[in-house]
Amino acid sequence: MTTPKRANRKEIKDKDFELIRAINSGRFDRFPDLVKRYEQKLYNFSLRMCRDAADAEDTVQETFLNVFRYVKNFRYETKFKNWLYRVAASTCIKKRRKSKFAPERELSLDEFFPQDETEVPDQVPKWALMPLDKLLNDELLDKINEAIFTLPEKYRLVIVLRDIEDFSTAETAQILNLSDANVKVRLHRARLFLRDRLKGYFENE
Amino acid sequence: MNKDEHDHKHCLELFEKLSEYLDNELDEVSGKDIEKHIKECVPCFVCLQTLKRTVDLCKQAEDRPVPKDFSKKLKEVIQNMPKTPPAG
Repeated sequence: MTTPKRANRKEIKDKDFELIRAINSGRFDRFPDLVKRYEQKLYNFSLRMCRDAADAEDTVQETFLNVFRYVKNFRYETKFKNWLYRVAASTCIKKRRKSKFAPERELSLDEFFPQDETEVPDQVPKWALMPLDKLLNDELLDKINEAIFTLPEKYRLVIVLRDIEDFSTAETAQILNLSDANVKVRLHRARLFLRDRLKGYFENE
Repeated sequence: MNKDEHDHKHCLELFEKLSEYLDNELDEVSGKDIEKHIKECVPCFVCLQTLKRTVDLCKQAEDRPVPKDFSKKLKEVIQNMPKTPPAG
């Protein structure tokens, strides 16, 4: 796997570069340090993408093996973490094609826009007004995770990278090899989908 | 603007841009347009607030710890890898 063509050619500062340079200069004994550094992040990313714990474990293992195989191609033109997630996302997509969850479908903007006057809200619901810490509990966190799992993959990838992993629009576009505009469209639809799920949860509480 | 005067066309145009607005990714003119509109349109204001809350909640999603058995297995796989990466 090569570094994306759109990456900035200017070398950037990154906390992982020292470790990656060491590995690429033959210090393979330092590869476990890289695993330790990203094991938990990649496990949770894979779990959100695969849902199934055994599939997530396989994906993390395959991701690290792919990193080992291709890290010599890393050009230090992007943060290493972005490159790593590019490998991880590609590994997840291959794995997910064999999975049975969340059938692929397009989300259209129309399905989230109130179609008749009775659906048009006239006041902000309590769940959007009360302080976040008063609202949060384990059941709600489970509901959020559950709702993320039901998103079709291409939308889930974007919302997980943007809103959970905290990558920027440009970084997400680079990781998934999409345009910035495409990332924005998918992110908005994914958020609207989750909003409807949360609305349903709070209304039926 | 009340519920009965809800202008779907203009609302729909802005509805498309609400995430970009929340992420500060809109140009100044579009951003100001949304700010002006949500002051006058209750449904769009509600939509923005619920969307914002959704994003805030999503950011709270917690990471699970890596299962110890898997961590151990991963360590073994890495240790058993060849000392040089494969060519190609």
